[in-house]
Amino acid sequence: MNKTLEINNLTKHYGRVKAVEKLNLVVNPGEIFGILGPNGSGKTTTLGMILDVIAPTSGSYAWFDGENSVTSRQKIGSILETPCFYSYMTAVQNLRVAAHIKECTFDRIDEVLKRVNLYERRHDPFKTFSLGMKQRLSIAAALLANPPVLILDEPTNGLDPQGIAEVRSLIKEIADEGKTIVIASHLLDEVQKVCTHFCVMRRGVKLHDGSVSDILGETNYVTISGKDKERIKHVVESFDGFRGLTNENNGLLVELKDGFTSYELNSYCHAQGVTLGKLDPKTKSLEEEFLKILSEK
Amino acid sequence: MKKAFILEWLKVRHYRVFWILLGLYLLSLIILTSGGAVFLEFLKYKGLDYKGIDPTWLPIYDFPDIWHNNTFLGHYTKIFLAFIVVISVTNDWSFNTMRQNIIDGISKKEFVMSKVILIASLGALSTVFIFVTSLLIGFAYSHTFEISAIFSNMEFLFLYFVDIFKYCTFALFVTIIMRRPGFVIVFLIFYSLIIEPLWIALPLKEWNYINEYTAWIESLLPSSYFSFRTGLIQIPFQRYFLQEVQEGIVWKPLLIAIGWSAIFIYLTARRLIKKDVR
Repeated sequence: MNKTLEINNLTKHYGRVKAVEKLNLVVNPGEIFGILGPNGSGKTTTLGMILDVIAPTSGSYAWFDGENSVTSRQKIGSILETPCFYSYMTAVQNLRVAAHIKECTFDRIDEVLKRVNLYERRHDPFKTFSLGMKQRLSIAAALLANPPVLILDEPTNGLDPQGIAEVRSLIKEIADEGKTIVIASHLLDEVQKVCTHFCVMRRGVKLHDGSVSDILGETNYVTISGKDKERIKHVVESFDGFRGLTNENNGLLVELKDGFTSYELNSYCHAQGVTLGKLDPKTKSLEEEFLKILSEK
Repeated sequence: MKKAFILEWLKVRHYRVFWILLGLYLLSLIILTSGGAVFLEFLKYKGLDYKGIDPTWLPIYDFPDIWHNNTFLGHYTKIFLAFIVVISVTNDWSFNTMRQNIIDGISKKEFVMSKVILIASLGALSTVFIFVTSLLIGFAYSHTFEISAIFSNMEFLFLYFVDIFKYCTFALFVTIIMRRPGFVIVFLIFYSLIIEPLWIALPLKEWNYINEYTAWIESLLPSSYFSFRTGLIQIPFQRYFLQEVQEGIVWKPLLIAIGWSAIFIYLTARRLIKKDVR
């Protein structure tokens, strides 16, 4: 298996509105792929098309190097924005329907319910569940067939902080098992925290794609502090890689020349007999990069 | 096939509304098919007789006429079966589970197939039910018990099944178009019980029933609630006034019914496949 998902020129128009325009993407096995974009950028439409509920205007996609789309969907666990279950059925009964469609046995139902912490409530009707419990039940349903691929669409939407934390830690656990995950989200730090690769969409067009670690990394800024602020200032200004300095309430923000790192700054200070109490290289955040990408194009 | 059947079974198994509707349907079927004796008693009590003949003498439950009589009466209850189909489809819409089912791994075609199988199963259940109740009523009231008489005219059971199948595929198609259960149910009642008879009655001149044009329209209508002389199961009771009645399968309405079913299933599938599921 070479590619988990390949999307070629996928396009969806609603009348004159171009929801998705000539999208090309490749997701490889083991990646945690984030689709980032503001609301209305075509993320959910894209997921709808690759899951065969929205008919593309043009273009194509292929799961698992072109396997039949129905059987490949049975190998994909999907969690969409709103949990969709039969309100009159209990958790177990709902999972039986999902298991039957996915053509897997009912044996794992108890296991996945325990995993999402719903085992105690397994015989209660779905309509009595809170939003967080409903969301967890959809995770259970997605895990039922032990699928190699998971698709998550705004998985933490509308949840309270505790629910968000629960769902995120579950996603991480699942990712650690080596599953491929595709996440659509407008929450940048969500993507930054869990994804290995990502793409940015705006108004249906892909603006950027690549790995998260490529775009993140250290900046040229380091926050330092220590006991004798004036002495530190003096020493730092004499450092070869020094470019600028600003006072901050919790220390000094030092800007370094390109090619110099916080490590070199630290050893220089040490050699000059100054001990730094704090050395904090500023890392890039996806948020800044995201805004940069959006404003560039 | 088996997968689609089990899927529908899992969906309705724990659905109380389904069992209540089905129970009411079967009850109405029993009342309609076995209430004839009570009705004739009522006529007698009212002092009605026909040239000195006591109405209770009418052998409506005699084998093999009972098969024609009861399937004719029974097919009037099919609208309740159609409601079950309507609710089963609109549920999958309102819970958004049709989308979920497709995402989980069936095709839109398989989804339509599962509903068609639901229709066929309900039709088969109803056919078996009317067979058993008619057999029992027949044993209670019939004047003849020859095996050959009991088991002739069985083709009416087949026609009964085809009629239900056709009407429920019609309901399925209307549901896919109109989507809201309330609208669909009101439409089905309104169409079957008001529009169709109007359609038949309006072109009539001086209430002359034998009119080629109306007979032609009548034979093509999908609900056939009022297609007394052109439907799959035509009115049987004029035999007691020594007039001719339908004998066995009439091919034209059968072909029309099969044609309608095929058209409705095809249009339903086409509409679902073309439209986005949201």
